[in-house]
Amino acid sequence: MSEIFVLAEHRNGELRDVTFEMLSGARNLADKMGATVTAVLLGSGVNEMAEKLKSYANKVLVVDDPKLENFNAEIYQKVLSKLIKDHKPVVTLIGHTAFGMDLAPALAVELGLPLATDCIDLDAVDGRLVVTRQIYSGKVNAKVALKGDQFIATVRSGAFSIEEGALNGEIVTESVTIEDVPYRRFLGYEEAEVGEVDITQADYIVSVGRAIKDQENIPLVQELADVLGGVLACSRPVVDKNWLPKDRQVGSSGKIVKPKLYLAIGISGAFQHVAGMKDSGLIVAINKDPKAPIFNVADYGIVDDLFKVVPVLKEKIKEIKG
Amino acid sequence: MDIIVCVKRVPDTSEADVVITGKDIKKDDLPFEINEWDNYAVEEAVQLKEKFGGTITVISVGDEDANEVIRRGLAMGADEGVRIYDPAIEGSDGVTIAKILAAAIKNMKYDLILTGAQAGDLGEGIVPVALAEMLGIPHATLVTGLEIQDGKAKVKRELEGGLMEVLEIDLPAVIGIQTGINEPRYVSIMGIRKASKKEIKLLGLGDIGLTPEDVGEAGSLTVLEELSVPPVTKVAEIIEGDPAEAASKLAEILKEQGVL
Amino acid sequence: MEIGGETFAQKFDLFTCMQCGKCTGGCTVSLKSPLNVRRMMREALIRESSDVVLTMKELWDCTTCGTCTSRCPRGLDPAEVIIAMRGILIEEGRGVPKTIMEALESTVKNGNPWGRSRMKRTEWLQDFDQEVKDLTDGKSAELLAFIGCTPSYDPRVQEVARAFVRVFNAAGVDYGILGTEESCCGSEMHAMGEEGLFEMLVEENLELFNEFEITKMVTISPHCYNAFSNKYSEYGDVNFEVKHYTQFLVDLIDEDRLKLTKELGKVVTYHDPCYLGKHNSIFDEPRKVLEAIPGITFVEMDRSRERSLCCEGGGGMMWNEGAEGERTAVVRVRDAAEQGAEIIAVACPFCMLTLEDAVKTAGYEGQIEVKDILELLSESL
Repeated sequence: MSEIFVLAEHRNGELRDVTFEMLSGARNLADKMGATVTAVLLGSGVNEMAEKLKSYANKVLVVDDPKLENFNAEIYQKVLSKLIKDHKPVVTLIGHTAFGMDLAPALAVELGLPLATDCIDLDAVDGRLVVTRQIYSGKVNAKVALKGDQFIATVRSGAFSIEEGALNGEIVTESVTIEDVPYRRFLGYEEAEVGEVDITQADYIVSVGRAIKDQENIPLVQELADVLGGVLACSRPVVDKNWLPKDRQVGSSGKIVKPKLYLAIGISGAFQHVAGMKDSGLIVAINKDPKAPIFNVADYGIVDDLFKVVPVLKEKIKEIKG
Repeated sequence: MDIIVCVKRVPDTSEADVVITGKDIKKDDLPFEINEWDNYAVEEAVQLKEKFGGTITVISVGDEDANEVIRRGLAMGADEGVRIYDPAIEGSDGVTIAKILAAAIKNMKYDLILTGAQAGDLGEGIVPVALAEMLGIPHATLVTGLEIQDGKAKVKRELEGGLMEVLEIDLPAVIGIQTGINEPRYVSIMGIRKASKKEIKLLGLGDIGLTPEDVGEAGSLTVLEELSVPPVTKVAEIIEGDPAEAASKLAEILKEQGVL
Repeated sequence: MEIGGETFAQKFDLFTCMQCGKCTGGCTVSLKSPLNVRRMMREALIRESSDVVLTMKELWDCTTCGTCTSRCPRGLDPAEVIIAMRGILIEEGRGVPKTIMEALESTVKNGNPWGRSRMKRTEWLQDFDQEVKDLTDGKSAELLAFIGCTPSYDPRVQEVARAFVRVFNAAGVDYGILGTEESCCGSEMHAMGEEGLFEMLVEENLELFNEFEITKMVTISPHCYNAFSNKYSEYGDVNFEVKHYTQFLVDLIDEDRLKLTKELGKVVTYHDPCYLGKHNSIFDEPRKVLEAIPGITFVEMDRSRERSLCCEGGGGMMWNEGAEGERTAVVRVRDAAEQGAEIIAVACPFCMLTLEDAVKTAGYEGQIEVKDILELLSESL
């Protein structure tokens, strides 16, 4: 029976959500393909993590080696390509994350296998992998078919919801001789500069996007955050423009937040941003564009100019709070 | 230091009502621009050249319109422009584009190759890492910090959750640039007009040792089957009224929902 | 210092400057910005290298109001010297505020500095009950109404564009618009020092106007008017006659083609836009139009006509923070309040936006309104 490989992603000894999401998505795909699911865990001293993966996979394939302690795309590639050559999995799934993006294309090229990236859905048609991915900033879905009989795909974080596993996969440990890669050296992790505000701890977040137009308009939204007793956060473009510090950024490359209230102001709702706030309690969006994807995750929306809505909203909230 | 920067011309769909026509979208009415990530890559190259000297070559795969972004690169400070094109290229997937670039670049002299980490249109994020593998050199993508020293690059990669991975790779290497790594300079129309006097070298498939079968759908291992408009899963309840009314209603709703 | 292969001294006749300082004395922003126009005239003359401007952040504080130019006893044009110095920064690509870069890049890409799609340029006509001819639909008209970027896109100023239509339709004027083919006039691109972009827009616009055989044009914005009327002929053959709408309206009123019946019953003052007043000496027409509106009590602010205080909306300041400190628009609102004005009438989209903001900042919300002359006319129809 053929296998679907799911590369477990972990950092600092913790499995990342995308791993369980992929394993959940892989189970459906496996049914369609008549395959089993194998979680592939590369690392050093990973027993505990392997145990956690058991219920989500038919097999947990472990390579435990001190050289795998920290993520090094080139070392991971060498080990993974060896495993794929030996086991011939029909599909290999890797997270479309900073980790996966640094690894998957090189792996696909090395093995001569087709690669589809940033997939939001996986399907099998006549034994071939057909994926759905989003293009043009999420405005269009593209169905892409992969040629041949072995496939690699990277999967977007949040594309599948985690379904509790009822499997009891066997943990199989393999040893692989790992060559050194002297041309790439992991030096460490670094926290992005930390400011005085921790947005992940806030109950109320007012988050602002590109539509704020100028740094001088920041006080307008800051005041709204103050009135709410919350903090000001933002989407990526605001940080790229240096209007707010990096530690205020919500999204997959910033912070994941789950406040009671998330007020998205002038944020269009690119998936990278949504990934960082979709689990908030109540989501409210103010945006001029009625077609902005943010309205697809928000509970309430106002389609209008933020510069007209925000000042009134601030006053009203002040009144209500007394 | 000789640097090659790979750039792509992409449509800006941010304000567009996207219309699907077959396997593409209607692009006649769309404005085009340099891929945002590539713009940061060119700026990074120009800053490195200002520091270390050397040359910059801007390279793009595409039809004549791609000259626009090459010229922009020249105006920013690049020395040479190269465009690779053949009608057979249409339909190439990300790995095949990397293959085309690799075929052209392998005969060129370089110490460093910069690309955008991904492109704003298709968002595959394949080219930098695939290109490095094909050229047999190290890579790092999603790079938000780059220091060059003694034939090595110390890079910071942007990970999820506001964390950076710091690593060192030997040169030559391919670096996939993430937005925000620098502040791209303004490129004036006058500058672009001056740059348009420079000749852009055009390479066909034959010039880089490829055949039409190597590229396009025939040469790609993935095939685009169909495009569709994403289904709407959930829609926010839109609060109607003029801005003041809507804002007042919203404040009331927040109160009712117990978040105030 | 040189620009375009010519020294500043030659281009702007800088040897004639006697350093009297009248330019700085009248400068709108000199009280809060390190920008010293007199010194700039000197720097431009004596500096060999233009590198000195690279660190002059204050160059971006100039509103190009033209006060310095209008006060110069030697007839020099200090405002254009500042603009040319900005041009050096633009060509270097450095020291240009990000928001200015974005406005310029948007104009290259979309034909407007507001970052909006060209296809949405006629958005202001949606759900509008009036008929407007679009010349690009094959219709013809005697007069081109050049709407301009801000009236096309800014939600507040879109009201002014609609008022324009109501007034001109009521007067039975045969006019048309260029729909989504209309592009930025380039006035502010020039003022921000992006000479190449301005030149490109001039070329493209002249071609477009020729294609549609435009012979007469009316503009909503004084900035568009100034560009077409004074700047375009430096770059190409201008085959059309252009008027600001206030000039056009004076004729309509004289010919009794506008039936203004509704009494407004308000105390109104008028804020002279720099690009209409100081730059083009159009002072009387807007006042005549206002006086034709029934039920208006017109009051004049102390600083009016040539001495009018700039609102800080021009010279690219719509896309730039400018000097810190109290905004002159706020001062202006207080000037209006002193005269007991209930309405500040404007005739420029930028003045509309800066003054409306300032009404809030100065705490006169609910007491003073900012309205375009077109809106007042439309209300009294």
